[in-house]
Amino acid sequence: MSETLTPRGIVRARRRAALAAFWRTFRRDREGMTGLVLLALFAFVALAAPLLADESGLSLTRATGPVLAEPSFEYPFGTDKYGRSVLTLVIWGSRISLLVGLAATLISMVIGTVVGIASGHFRGVAGGALNRLTEWFLVIPFLPLAIVLATVFPPDVPKIVAVIIVIGVTSWSGTARLVRAQVFSIEERPYLERARALGAGHWQQMSRHVLPNVMPLVLANTTLTVSIAILAETTLSFLGLGDPLRISWGRILDNAYSGAVISTGSWWWVFFPGASVVLVVLGFNLCGRAIERILDPRIKSRV
Amino acid sequence: MSRTPVTDGAGLTDQSASRRESRVPSLRRRLAAAAALLVAALTALAIPAPAAAEDATPSAPTKVTFVLGIKQDIDSLNPYVGVVASAYEAYQLMYDYLINSSDKDFSPVPGLAERWETSTDGKTWTYHIRKGVKWSDGKDLTAKDVAYSFQRSIDGETENGQYGNYVSLITKVSATDDYTVVIETSAPSPSMLRLLVPILPEHTWKDIDAKEVSTFTNDTNPVGSGPFKLVEAKANQFYRFEANKGYWGGAPKIDELVIRVYADDEGLGQALRNGSVDMIQDVSAAVWESLRNVPGITTSDSKYPGFNELAYNLGAQTVENKPIGNGHPALKDKRVRLAIDTAIDRKTLVDKVLRNHGTAATGVIPPLYPNWHWTPGDAARTFDLAKANQMLEDAGYKKSADGIRVGPDGKKLEFRLFGREESEFSKDNVAYIADWLSQIGMKATVSIMSEDKLTAVIGQGEYDMFEWGWVVEPDPDFQLSVFTCDQRSYVDAGEIAAGWSDSFYCDASYDALYQQQKTLLDPAQRTAVIKQAQQKLYDDAVYSMLYYYNNFEAYRSDKFTGFTPQPSDGGSLVFQYGTYTYLNLAPVSKTTDTGSSNTLWLVLGIGAGVVVLAGIVGGVFLMRRRSTADERE
Repeated sequence: MSETLTPRGIVRARRRAALAAFWRTFRRDREGMTGLVLLALFAFVALAAPLLADESGLSLTRATGPVLAEPSFEYPFGTDKYGRSVLTLVIWGSRISLLVGLAATLISMVIGTVVGIASGHFRGVAGGALNRLTEWFLVIPFLPLAIVLATVFPPDVPKIVAVIIVIGVTSWSGTARLVRAQVFSIEERPYLERARALGAGHWQQMSRHVLPNVMPLVLANTTLTVSIAILAETTLSFLGLGDPLRISWGRILDNAYSGAVISTGSWWWVFFPGASVVLVVLGFNLCGRAIERILDPRIKSRV
Repeated sequence: MSRTPVTDGAGLTDQSASRRESRVPSLRRRLAAAAALLVAALTALAIPAPAAAEDATPSAPTKVTFVLGIKQDIDSLNPYVGVVASAYEAYQLMYDYLINSSDKDFSPVPGLAERWETSTDGKTWTYHIRKGVKWSDGKDLTAKDVAYSFQRSIDGETENGQYGNYVSLITKVSATDDYTVVIETSAPSPSMLRLLVPILPEHTWKDIDAKEVSTFTNDTNPVGSGPFKLVEAKANQFYRFEANKGYWGGAPKIDELVIRVYADDEGLGQALRNGSVDMIQDVSAAVWESLRNVPGITTSDSKYPGFNELAYNLGAQTVENKPIGNGHPALKDKRVRLAIDTAIDRKTLVDKVLRNHGTAATGVIPPLYPNWHWTPGDAARTFDLAKANQMLEDAGYKKSADGIRVGPDGKKLEFRLFGREESEFSKDNVAYIADWLSQIGMKATVSIMSEDKLTAVIGQGEYDMFEWGWVVEPDPDFQLSVFTCDQRSYVDAGEIAAGWSDSFYCDASYDALYQQQKTLLDPAQRTAVIKQAQQKLYDDAVYSMLYYYNNFEAYRSDKFTGFTPQPSDGGSLVFQYGTYTYLNLAPVSKTTDTGSSNTLWLVLGIGAGVVVLAGIVGGVFLMRRRSTADERE
């Protein structure tokens, strides 16, 4: 086989083997698989939303149902105060909630990884400054910072983009710290010393040697961050800072609260979107923990 | 929603908010609510006794306290500064006015002036001030105080910004003796019995100079002559007023009035249910409806002189006709506005947003003022999406490939539509409107912003459409002045400052109608002109009027009686043009005290809640400990 002859081929084959080994271990992890099934279910709902529910069901002017109807055969999740089916809202809301959660996590991971690697790699003033910056973001309470940022965002930026950016830039500090610690241990390894001796520059060291080694850690962390991001999106939407005209789970909860869900006792209006948030967050957590267990040999040996 | 007086030339930017109906900022209040709940829970856990004592009637058991729950905090207790409705409610409690509006039908009735007369040319008015009225510090209230208050509203920049419209025709104010005030005007005015300038004590206010007045808080022992005296103020928490038992209009039957600030509709509803407040108002239809069958609570969807509208940017310009802002040019085309107007189903808005507690709107003066109200009758535009589409088609706005219409100038009909964060009604309205616009080949990008921000954006002309509302005074002068050329933004020291206009409408024939009504003494003639002015606004589609709404009020009828509507035929019980309810309130029976037992249950409930919460937290903590212990094995 030609690929085994080239170094790149060897690497590729080794990675494939590692992946297969990972999948074998993961499959045996009952919690991880539960999480994966949950996520697959919600991913399906989000992707297949147009097939599952007509988008016109989100329109206020074309709502046909009775106002605040209890769950019934026709409206399995009941209806909201406009007469829209809560099931339709939850199905379409999954798209925005998951989209915001994933996109914000991507931003958070990129910033966290870059800052983490850089602050771990550069030991001098630059690294120290980056580390102080990370600590600064760590100690600022997340919610007030996110609220302030969401409020001062220019109005011409679509709110959904604003929310993604706000969550992204406020939640990277934990990742950065984690990555930095890992970088310290990696930088002490002999092959990095060798790379330095061979004249590798900072970029070469960081991108070719450090990054691939912190990647598994970053991936495990990503899965956990998604659940935080989804919760953050729900929180911000509930506080009225989300995109007011795109239905997300948080927005349904916000609508329900301001629509006097407590006074009217229409529990279905909050239960179903709330349960969806809980299940997705649970799914990501179960998966994340499983990945962590598999990738971290110290945890694995003790399970 | 307030009865802030009008500025003559132009109001300060933030003052536009005063006339505006203002429902509550949800986010900040909700956070505050969460914090308050937490604090309450902690207090209940640590020291239950004082917490209970605070809610129950303090000190003397005979003291009768009435608690009004509001959502909108009083922005300033200084009557020259405050802009929101609750602030004007406080001024009415603390101070007097020359002439009041009757509770029956808003007609002028004696206030501080017990009688008045006018000269034959109608340009000189003599007001005879009530004798024996005392300030709360014991000094006599005289004509000099009245003249001083009016003069200050004419001379002072801040003061004139607040009360300018009432004094714009006034050329001279003088106190000829201790109980006579003479006001001379440049032309006869029909509004001389509608001068809502609060009368302040000269002996304390003379120390507040022109510079200090804009920042003066007026929250420590202010001297007033009104039916209530402010004794304690905690911004965003509560305002405590003591009854003025020597009030000239009769001593209030309650001893104390507390206005308590709540975070949101749900909080208000629960507070009324458990008896920690005695009355709530301006709550959402859903909360109000949920209170309808609660024993001990009476609800009232009171007729209210307010309307909501969809406003357009008709081509923002300053008073010097210098274009400003970035409004969409298509909205200058009346045919486009008429098409949008035709695509709005007011019946659905009244039905779904107001839950039928209101009516579709036409003229800018609400039907609560039947003399001034104008309605197009059969000529009213009706909801018809097909017709709206046809109108746009005929006007040359053809659909492009993506379904959005394009104007003759090649610009797509894509608009910004602004709603208010503070109001659930507003959010619902813009959502509905955006939906309808999408069905006539337009695209509305909705942004929800704070009322403060929206006020600024409007002043700069940086909008296409927005949703807001006005509360209209018994005299229509102010509401009509909003649409005059003079009320457009102006340039002040290089900066664009806002007037009252939020449409930038400027039409010579309309301005002529406005000026005409300002000096017409004959009511029939004035009414005709006022109706003409409203029709002009309707025909030009300056606003798309949405609905006239009712004020949702609910109160503990098991504890208090004497609620007095204005007008007497199903009008509002508080936030009136007057203080009728506060003066007439009386406890139902002095022996029943359901409040304290309710309070006890509340405290017990919160205590139990905290215990459960602690249990859960503790449980989670233990489980985590256990799991980490497992991992440590």
